[in-house]
Amino acid sequence: MLAALLERALPAESPDTAPQSSAEVSSVFTPAHRTVLEAVREFFSKRPEPVQPIAYTHKVHLANGLQCPFCHVGVDQGPDARIPSVNFCMTCHQAIATDKPEIKKLAAYMARGEDVPWQRVYGFVPSAHVKFNHAPHIRAGVDCVKCHGDMTQRTVAIRTVDHTMGFCVGCHREKNASVDCVTCHY
Amino acid sequence: MERRDFLKISALGGATAALEGCGNPDHQLIRFVPEEDLVPGLATWKPSICTLCPAGCGLIVRVMQGEAEVVRHGQLGLLKMGLAKKLEGNPAHPINQGKLCPRGQGGLQVTYHPDRIKNPLQRTGPRGSGQFQEITWDEALKQLVSQLSPLQANKSGQLAFVTSPLHGLRKNIVGNFTASFKNAQVVEFALFDGGVIRAANSASFGVNAPPTVNLSQSNYVISFGADFLGTWNSPVAQSIGYGQMRQGRPGQRGKFVQVEPRISQTGATADEWIPAQPGTEGIFALSLAHVILREKLRPATAAGHAGSLIEGWSQGLPDYAPEKIETQIGVPAATIARIAREVAGHEPAVALIGDAATAQTNGLFNALAVNALNALLGSVGKPGGIQFGPAWTPQVAKSASSESEKSVAHSVQKLAEQIHSAPDAVKVLLVYNANPVFATPATWQVREAFEKVPFIASFGSFVDETSALADLILPDSSPLESWLDDAPISGSAKTVASLAPPAMNPLHNTRSMPDVLLDVAHQLGGDPAKALPWKTYDEALKAAFAALYKEQGTRSAKDADEFWTKAQDQGGWWSAEEKGIVPSGGKAGGAPAKSAAPEFDGAPGEFSFHFLPFASQLFYDGSLAHLPWMQEAPDPLSTVMWGTWVEINTQTAAKLGIQQGDLLEVASQHGKLQAPALVTPGIAPDVVAMPVGQGHENFTRYASSRGANPISILASMTVGNTSSLAWAATRVKVSPVGRGTMVLFGGSMSEAPPELRHR
Repeated sequence: MLAALLERALPAESPDTAPQSSAEVSSVFTPAHRTVLEAVREFFSKRPEPVQPIAYTHKVHLANGLQCPFCHVGVDQGPDARIPSVNFCMTCHQAIATDKPEIKKLAAYMARGEDVPWQRVYGFVPSAHVKFNHAPHIRAGVDCVKCHGDMTQRTVAIRTVDHTMGFCVGCHREKNASVDCVTCHY
Repeated sequence: MERRDFLKISALGGATAALEGCGNPDHQLIRFVPEEDLVPGLATWKPSICTLCPAGCGLIVRVMQGEAEVVRHGQLGLLKMGLAKKLEGNPAHPINQGKLCPRGQGGLQVTYHPDRIKNPLQRTGPRGSGQFQEITWDEALKQLVSQLSPLQANKSGQLAFVTSPLHGLRKNIVGNFTASFKNAQVVEFALFDGGVIRAANSASFGVNAPPTVNLSQSNYVISFGADFLGTWNSPVAQSIGYGQMRQGRPGQRGKFVQVEPRISQTGATADEWIPAQPGTEGIFALSLAHVILREKLRPATAAGHAGSLIEGWSQGLPDYAPEKIETQIGVPAATIARIAREVAGHEPAVALIGDAATAQTNGLFNALAVNALNALLGSVGKPGGIQFGPAWTPQVAKSASSESEKSVAHSVQKLAEQIHSAPDAVKVLLVYNANPVFATPATWQVREAFEKVPFIASFGSFVDETSALADLILPDSSPLESWLDDAPISGSAKTVASLAPPAMNPLHNTRSMPDVLLDVAHQLGGDPAKALPWKTYDEALKAAFAALYKEQGTRSAKDADEFWTKAQDQGGWWSAEEKGIVPSGGKAGGAPAKSAAPEFDGAPGEFSFHFLPFASQLFYDGSLAHLPWMQEAPDPLSTVMWGTWVEINTQTAAKLGIQQGDLLEVASQHGKLQAPALVTPGIAPDVVAMPVGQGHENFTRYASSRGANPISILASMTVGNTSSLAWAATRVKVSPVGRGTMVLFGGSMSEAPPELRHR
């Protein structure tokens, strides 16, 4: 209830009205946050729920036998997993399901020379100072499902697992991994 | 509600929010299809070459995927691409061995500079106004070709190519291109061109190159004005050797004496500072030689040819007895004699000369004297002394560049004179990587001369004082975006052929200068096309490396292709052994050099101070003043940031009633400037000094209208028997005119002007 109340009190700002230029310094709340709202939101570690430009379906792709690292290349090599570019999608979708409306959207991006502006789903706010690295987790045999939920039943990705510190530390304890502060915060 | 949230809410004094999605996308910009697929978050290190000074250090560049705001097809958007994030020294490179100076670190900002020229530009306003409009490459090249093609037919040499001194294959490309126009001229220009030292080494040792100084094995170093740890010659290589000499050998620490009227960054590390009178460095060196000969510490014949170039050498230099010259050079005879004994008693000992000591009217004599001293000490061609590395000369096609060398006008000063005397002398002027309008004395009238040239095309990446005069700007890609090669002539006794492919794709609509020249040559056809048979610069480089492989690489690779690939991987090719050139003794004949007293512009009575501009540790010759990292970094000695200053002796300042931060007017016979005073004991009482680099009229948002340019007020004096500017031969008068602003890192922020204070 409190949440709903405050949402009304502090309406979500439109990005267009936010000052873009550094010349308008007076209207910037702090060097780190453009507005009060942005600061408050970060204080509570709340991120806006992403709205994806294409209604991509994980379910269909996984049902067809694709594995996560097929598209999310690099997950076993370094900190981040790649979000595939439109080029990558179109290697298959030049031929597959070309009549579907969402695939037509995809092809339109390609034709315009644009990449799909996928929105970020997971991640930590900068002030948390968390340095997450995928590769050691994959090496330790942590299943993707553990942190990202069961994607075989999902269309676009949403945050189904809350990546709180408690969540991370719980698993680290379970697996006898280091719970030293500087393992993640540095 | 969680306890944690509750506490946070209390902290906000009851206010709270649970802010759910507003669907606010991270960016409003469109995203372009990436040109390369990189694994995010993983860094790769790619080799490159530092081009910010002539030393030619090897780099490694940390490249990671990032998002850059770029314009493609006329639209602004985001592009995921490999971006250079950090520069370090290449550990395998023989010049800098993994080390890098602050200027080199700052090289990253050349690529990401907000004021980079992003498209070819055509001038719309009057010359120098900086008003340009963007045009396409096709239009730009068409314009250049249409200006050049009439010159192909006539033989009156109406093409001039002004460039920074080039090494490696770029020299061939520019040389071949220019030489394919009859009687056209390449003019190499740099303020600190090292021309005097090259001329002296050519006379003394038969090698037309600056020395390679490996101090790691030296036991005694006496340096006449050379800022060898900061800006002179190959500073990173020299700093590595210097560190070894001082601290790398347990129980053995080499001594270092610096002779200069103002303590430089290098002088500040010396065991002993000797402020000899400006221009008396050669006399000082010969006085040391006199004592060594008199006390029979070395035989006169040890100096060989280099000694025979000095008048009176075989007689033991009787005119240079310390007692006779002590008042002239301002150093007690006893000190001279002591230093002479120390130098002779600590083999290997080496004498260096550079910077202001060679920028006097008698600079060549000074350099010849120091060469003779080195020869006498037996330190030529040996580790711990001065050596000459065999430089790589790219062999591709027939080198028409030798022909172009003949027609070199030698100096921008002469070029300007030519244009002033005959307006038709130059019809098309090409400018690459040089800013002579900024870095020459106003009396040379370079700007006025260039304004008379009907057509100027610049390959500049930034609008500066020279490219502001251009009719056409063909923006060069940044060094990190280009194929690079280099043939350093000093810094290592190995033969070095540096090579690097682009570390990243170009951010903007720019093209590499050699590629543009090759394209233009093909469009012109005829001689230019014959002189430059390659389509792209990397094709030409591959041919040059194939020739190098044939010459010496047979042990390092099984064929030319493997050699080429390996060179790209490690940042070039270098010989396994140090094969220094054995000095042959210069050309015989010619009268021995007589002692030449330095001449100064301005009567000592009225203009009571020697004016000593010096190379800035951060801006070098001013070409790096546009990099904000260089502007905000405090000068190592004075800690001044974002500005310029005049150094004046503490006692002199007290006598004139000048306090730190007072605005001084410095006036020569040819002009005046204003800058705040920095009162320091590290300068002779009759000398004022100023760093070169600031005072740009027009050089990006960071350097424009900031500080003053000491070069502009210099007299048009040249070093005798060379074409180099004698930039330390002007006298000035100094008067306080009020209060100035100077930001010292060491001071308090309350002294800073309001615009520099943090909000």
